[in-house]
Amino acid sequence: MARIGLLEKGFSYAVLSLVGALMFAPFLYMISIALSSDATTVKAAFTLFPREFRFENFVRVFTDYRMGTYLKNSIIITAFTVFGSVLSASFVAYGFARIRAKGSGFLFIVLLSTMMIPGEVTMVPQFIIYRELGWINTFLPLIVPSFFAGAFNVFLIRQFVMGIPRSLDEAAMIDGMGHLGIYAKIILPLTYPILAAIGIFSFAWNWGNFMGPLIYINDPKKTPLALGVQLISTVSGGQMPPWNMVMVASMFLTIPMILVYTFGQKYVYEANINSGSAGIK
Amino acid sequence: MRTRDGLWFYVFISPWLFGFLALTLGPILFSIYMSFTDWDLFQAPHFIGLGNYEKIFTRDPLFWKSVGNTVYYAFISIPLGMLLSLWIAYYLNKKLKGISFFRVLYYLPSVVPVVASSLLFVRLLAPNTGLINKGLALVGIDGPNWLLDPDWVKPALIVMSLWGVGGSVVLLLAGMKGIPHELLEAASIDGASPRKAFLFVTLPMITPIIFFNLVTGLIGALQTFAQVYIVTSGGPDNASQMIVPYLFENAFKFYKMGYASAIAWILFLMILLLTLLVFRSSALWVYYEEGRKHG
Repeated sequence: MARIGLLEKGFSYAVLSLVGALMFAPFLYMISIALSSDATTVKAAFTLFPREFRFENFVRVFTDYRMGTYLKNSIIITAFTVFGSVLSASFVAYGFARIRAKGSGFLFIVLLSTMMIPGEVTMVPQFIIYRELGWINTFLPLIVPSFFAGAFNVFLIRQFVMGIPRSLDEAAMIDGMGHLGIYAKIILPLTYPILAAIGIFSFAWNWGNFMGPLIYINDPKKTPLALGVQLISTVSGGQMPPWNMVMVASMFLTIPMILVYTFGQKYVYEANINSGSAGIK
Repeated sequence: MRTRDGLWFYVFISPWLFGFLALTLGPILFSIYMSFTDWDLFQAPHFIGLGNYEKIFTRDPLFWKSVGNTVYYAFISIPLGMLLSLWIAYYLNKKLKGISFFRVLYYLPSVVPVVASSLLFVRLLAPNTGLINKGLALVGIDGPNWLLDPDWVKPALIVMSLWGVGGSVVLLLAGMKGIPHELLEAASIDGASPRKAFLFVTLPMITPIIFFNLVTGLIGALQTFAQVYIVTSGGPDNASQMIVPYLFENAFKFYKMGYASAIAWILFLMILLLTLLVFRSSALWVYYEEGRKHG
């Protein structure tokens, strides 16, 4: 019995390591390309394990390309969108979770049903609206919508708030606190795990968002990193893209995502379970 | 008090309500109207009735090719992804030393932004110098031209999608954690092997998660954009053109706003129809614990 167990254990480790190596290989390849010299890049003679260590590539991407600008733009856009989506969604969710009013049930159903509409349907009219407002080539089309509370985020927070005992609100109300006070002083501090998760989702979505900047930004000075990486890879007719620089830029794009998910793991995990079971019930 | 409460409700939901009216409902109505016009952004729109829809259904083979490619991609990448994620979750759910290291390892690719993974796969899939064909050559396989071959470009995109399978693995693992120990103990007392216990106890218990992965995967696959735009530009010979990149081209390259709006509505109906079908089918294969509250 013990022997079979040992055999099975060994087999499991073998499977996990083999498939795991396949999963990790692309990361290693990315690093290896990023550290390659220009000579290697021109020949595309890349290897899985790095053979050159041109760490100066990580400086060159700032001096020879616009990495500094791309990064700065991404940080600005992401900071505002994360702040806007967390703040607005929690504010709206409080209304849906705690206050009954004429039409509140109906509006909640409207909110839920907007989740079914694919972004492609509203993409073209939104472009026309922002164009009329003169917002093309600004960050505004990428930032402002996040202050209008995403339906999915509202739903997640509302479910969370429903689980907070109402007796807390009632006690505060007796003490003379109004809705704004209850929201800011009682509910908001208690919802931080789900707010953290939404902040992470929002970060991930906006940091990596490609289609938005592609539609609204065509000025290199306003370009965020996700689009900037693609710009670096775009070269005129027949030339080999500077793959080493592309992969350096890709690493700048990827590493913050890995960090945020690593540090936010437990919040994402909880929210995943909530949204997963919300999706199936 | 009640009426004041009502007022407060609207104060609190006002950010969403404004966004809904200005950025969802308004655009929806506008988009319906536009889909009946030939608007090109520069001249005043002409009302052409069902003209756009008629063209899509009768005189636009490229649209149908992109529908075919999207469906091909969705119908192969999703089942493959589901099988692979179950297989991986089966191993990652074992109580082994260092298992959390493997869990992180398998999850990592799914957090890589699509721009980065797309460009990385352009390199990985390069016919002569790419890592994948070099690896295949090691085991004696002469790898295809992937992105340059109309027959292999869709499989190439599917391979790429499988790299990100870790996102659904995490959800499956969470579902597996929620299975009551008594069930698995009972199975093992009755002499079920770990594999049988997985197939007949674990698997039915996590069908709700599989269902969730299927629905979100389906909606996501039908909306595939960045991979196509960056990796293949729809080529070669439109063999990887898909619905959303085609819509994007019509809207933002040719400025055919009316035509693009009509395509968007057909995409919406496709998503709705397929999602409804999946929901309908769920009664046959998704197991919900009795007595569980449906909220």
